[in-house]
Amino acid sequence: MTTTVETAAPRSARWRRAGPPYSLLLPGGLWLLVFFVVPMVSMLSVSLQEGSLEQGYELTWRFQTYLDVLGKFDRQFIRSIFYGLMVTGALLLICYPLAYTIAFRGGRWKNALLFLLIMPFFVSFIIRTLEWKFILADDGFIFGPLKNLGWLGQDFRVLATPFAVIGGLVYNFLPFMALPLYVALERMDRSLLDAAGDLYSSRTSAFLRVTLPLSLPGVFAGSLLTFIPAVGDFINAEVLGGINTTMIGNVIQNEFLVNNDYPEAAAISFLLLAGILIGVAVYAKLLGTEELTG
Amino acid sequence: MTERMNELFGGLQDPMSRRELLRRAGRGSVFLGVGALLAACGIQGEDDDAGPAPTEASPSPLPEIAGQVVVANWPLYIDRAKGESPTLVSFTEETDIQIDYQVVINDNEEFFGTIQEPLSRGQSAGYDIIVVTDWMVAKMIRLGFLQPLHHDRLPNFEANAFEKFKDPSYDPGNIYSIPWAAGITGIGYDIERTGRELTSREDLWDPAFEGHVGMFTEMRDSFGFALLANGVVPEEATMEDVEAAQQKLLEQRETGIVRGYFGNDYTDQLATGNLWVSMAWSGDIFALQQDNPNLRFIIPEEGAMRWTDNMVIPVGAEHPADAHEFMNFVYDPRIATNITEWVWYESPVSQVPDLIRQDAAEASGGEAELLDQIAESPLVFPSEEVESQLYNYKNLDEEDERAWNELFQAVVQG
Repeated sequence: MTTTVETAAPRSARWRRAGPPYSLLLPGGLWLLVFFVVPMVSMLSVSLQEGSLEQGYELTWRFQTYLDVLGKFDRQFIRSIFYGLMVTGALLLICYPLAYTIAFRGGRWKNALLFLLIMPFFVSFIIRTLEWKFILADDGFIFGPLKNLGWLGQDFRVLATPFAVIGGLVYNFLPFMALPLYVALERMDRSLLDAAGDLYSSRTSAFLRVTLPLSLPGVFAGSLLTFIPAVGDFINAEVLGGINTTMIGNVIQNEFLVNNDYPEAAAISFLLLAGILIGVAVYAKLLGTEELTG
Repeated sequence: MTERMNELFGGLQDPMSRRELLRRAGRGSVFLGVGALLAACGIQGEDDDAGPAPTEASPSPLPEIAGQVVVANWPLYIDRAKGESPTLVSFTEETDIQIDYQVVINDNEEFFGTIQEPLSRGQSAGYDIIVVTDWMVAKMIRLGFLQPLHHDRLPNFEANAFEKFKDPSYDPGNIYSIPWAAGITGIGYDIERTGRELTSREDLWDPAFEGHVGMFTEMRDSFGFALLANGVVPEEATMEDVEAAQQKLLEQRETGIVRGYFGNDYTDQLATGNLWVSMAWSGDIFALQQDNPNLRFIIPEEGAMRWTDNMVIPVGAEHPADAHEFMNFVYDPRIATNITEWVWYESPVSQVPDLIRQDAAEASGGEAELLDQIAESPLVFPSEEVESQLYNYKNLDEEDERAWNELFQAVVQG
């Protein structure tokens, strides 16, 4: 009896302190419950169902569907992951110098430069992608004249090739890589570089041993923000791609909307989710998440 | 760490206490609960009693005119002048019904996918009239997704439709559908780019056009195309024939001859020159010819697919009475003529060819020539000779459709 009284007092005190912050989680938590957990459960259920549009779908716990889709769409899975890696790699190469220049050399133009960086993205994603289709048309206003001058072969084309799809993805996800990198570099303490210099470090080794490690959180965030949506994207492959550029997102869309094979579509989605989670976990392990988030 | 491990796994090492047992049972029931939840997510089929009954053929009484109607149609499928459609404007003027005409259909299956879910629950998909191809009409009837029409509200259809457009095999007695327009799936090409006239389906397998050949995402059109190329009549195709047709399509794909698989957007690709040769729908090419005279449409010597697009009213449509008004309106010979003069597809209205000739006589110069061309074109109004080269889609039951689709997706999704 006495023990309960003793433990109850600090507990309620703890609640008084911790209660309000936890209750702040409520709106977001409810939102996630309704729009994340419920659809996930429903999708999981669909992936284990069997049937057809006419007969209806029934839960039969058919795990075989997962193996089926892996066998059927292995090429598209591998292709999507490959495209995702290419896109993330290309974006790192493009955005790192860009973010570095703006953060360290931008001076009073910093905000203007950042604005220029995101300005194209005020236009809808779809419109920008469709626009590339016109710009890159086989006989469009870029390639047409070049072909007439004989600088390009008559058979030259960019559209409907993997290059177009990867290029489109790189273009569309650019700010998602550039901004986290910029933030990481911008908030770096510059005196660390002076200190490195005082300790006879060359500029190269100061970059490699001070700047680069300190910007890793930006690299990590940027990679996640670009790799994950790039792997699941279907618009770029749809608009800029042709044969042999089909990504797993296109397969999901097609299985769902055209074939009405909901179980397969759901199973592919889950496999994609699992694949990305594992990939991200490995990546976090390699970079050392504790240091990144802590 | 070890403390936590013990806490987690302790129950497994120690003899199980009653408390532990209850706790585990509790965990189990959580799983059971999830199981029940997962089962509750089942998707009802159309054969279930709860779904709309497909055999319900006597129409339920129509409500009052609501003053608005929503129509879903394909691109380039209604007359246009100065940014609006004269047909739609005059419809609203005459009937006082506001019309929301949406160009949202690019491919039958794809569009069906977007409306399937609400229709399966008997709810409105937001459209009062949709225009879909004959085989899709049959499929939607099978699924119980369509409302029977009130033919007493469609006097113009009875009076004016060509006999051959009445009582079609995909909807005997026109219970659920009346045609919007009919056309042919043949070959469209740009003669300047190909450098020669095309006559055969084999031309779409010509390595000279590598990377510039377009095929359709419509499974029935593309398979029909390959079946005819193999000398098989699509309506009589067996599973072996379809497998052979798949090989034919795969061959075209593996060699890089085909650039991609398109819906109605193939027209942009032909217009910009990315495609030199493509499977094509007749009227689209005639319309595009107005901008690019180098475009040609042919019925290849092996024959071509014939289709009819139909107006249907899906279940749950909110303004069925207004929908009937619109259906009846476009069967007015004058209105049908205006549409045909713009879309270049065969009109199901019998007076249209004569009215176009009459317009041609009244018009002058290029306009008159153009109208004459439409009225006399055997490809817009198929002559008997052309009719003999045209083939219908095979009527597929669900099992066949699935098998065909499986084979086709392996081609398109590679």
